[in-house]
Amino acid sequence: MNKKSWIILIAIVAIVAIYLASYYNSFISKDQAVQSQWAQVENQFQRRFDLIPNLVNAVQGILTQEQQIFGDLAEARTRYAGAQGVSDRVNAANEVERALGRLLVIMENYPQLRSSENIQSLQADLAGTENRIAVERGRFNEKTQDYNNAIKRFPGNLMAGIFGFGEKLYFESASGAEKAPEVKLDQ
Amino acid sequence: MILNLPKRSFAIFVICLAFLVCGGFAYSYYSPGSPAGFVNDFTQTLSQEQKQNLESKLFNFEKETSNEIAVAIIPNMKGDYIENFADKLFEEWGIGKEDKDNGVLILIAKEDREMRIEVGYGLEGALTDSQAYWIIQNVTRPAFQAEDYYAGIDGAADKIIAATKGEYVPSESPKNRNGFKVDFDLIWFGLFFLVWMSSIFARSKSWWAGGVVGLIIGIILIFFTSWLIGLIAALFLTPLGFLLDYFVSKNYQNRKSSGRPPSWWAGGFGGSHRGGFGGGGFGGFGGGSSGGGGSSGRW
Repeated sequence: MNKKSWIILIAIVAIVAIYLASYYNSFISKDQAVQSQWAQVENQFQRRFDLIPNLVNAVQGILTQEQQIFGDLAEARTRYAGAQGVSDRVNAANEVERALGRLLVIMENYPQLRSSENIQSLQADLAGTENRIAVERGRFNEKTQDYNNAIKRFPGNLMAGIFGFGEKLYFESASGAEKAPEVKLDQ
Repeated sequence: MILNLPKRSFAIFVICLAFLVCGGFAYSYYSPGSPAGFVNDFTQTLSQEQKQNLESKLFNFEKETSNEIAVAIIPNMKGDYIENFADKLFEEWGIGKEDKDNGVLILIAKEDREMRIEVGYGLEGALTDSQAYWIIQNVTRPAFQAEDYYAGIDGAADKIIAATKGEYVPSESPKNRNGFKVDFDLIWFGLFFLVWMSSIFARSKSWWAGGVVGLIIGIILIFFTSWLIGLIAALFLTPLGFLLDYFVSKNYQNRKSSGRPPSWWAGGFGGSHRGGFGGGGFGGFGGGSSGGGGSSGRW
């Protein structure tokens, strides 16, 4: 091979290397986007946990017959605190969500709760938090989809294989959780 | 040519499947349209005068504090949830400044008799969910029940203004939101690449390798962007590569320095930018976002 061919070959190799590097970078930034969105989801989980004790304290005195639900809630919270990894946390968080949903249904059966402004405010905050979780979860899934598309489509799938990027799991919500719980304490 | 039957029915099947998949996504948000101002009444509920009053109130509030309060009255949500609709509309319009997320959306779905106050990230502390809830319960709901939409919206706007007044002050020099964002890394890389390639071309005896490289770059751009851009780039870069190679080769052979080549690949690609809307008086909202804060209610 003469010198000229070598130079052309090197140029082609350089361009291919740049091409690969840009793929790698795009995987990294998509991966980072998923992770930071997950942090947003966890922020909102934390916010929910911070609100639960306030709500429980406000209603426990009235709902004396319903100790079961408070036990369930506390247990679900503990499980979330001990959960490691995204899928465990999602499961634990969904459990908290179900317990909370049951509590809200129970509360509807107690007319004396309806007159309390404090409880209405707490419920509005809780509904807002549930909606925030739904929003951030939706965005998490969008970012995950974006990432998964990038690593599964040709020719990205070949690069993802080389660089070791794996598929990410979606956040499956508890059924019916797309909709924030309503505050049904109409005066 | 006529498709034979199995092929045709397969095509129909695929089209149906595509519709099914597209329709399968849970929510049915639709865009009510671009905002024409702070007050957007898609139902002709407010009179011209009422609209003007509200608009100037919200316009002045934005001037004073940079907080953006948007009002949207839509006929119905076509089966969507108000929480989802509000979030998507907020995102589409980009209410609030991009760096402060200080926007509030008052969304009213008239036929559905539902409303929502959606609060941007930056105002969540000043206007809490329960405050939004009480605004709806005490101000908007009674007014709406009495069919006085203007009083309900105006009262809610006053309460929101009172709650968010101290939160932000407008920055001295408003950032140019349509400013062309240049990716400096890319420019540096481009310059480096150019000089590097030039020196290779200059040393090589060929006068045509530059054209080949231009063609290759064009083909790579097809992968990165689209067929059209890649094709245009290839058509453009190939002769330019030839020219560059010819120029630098001659230069080199003349024992001059390899020279500063004319920049044929300068300029950056704009960073991904949220769609702003231009035109007619109202320059669009600032590109803020919300995370689903606020409260909803019915009447």
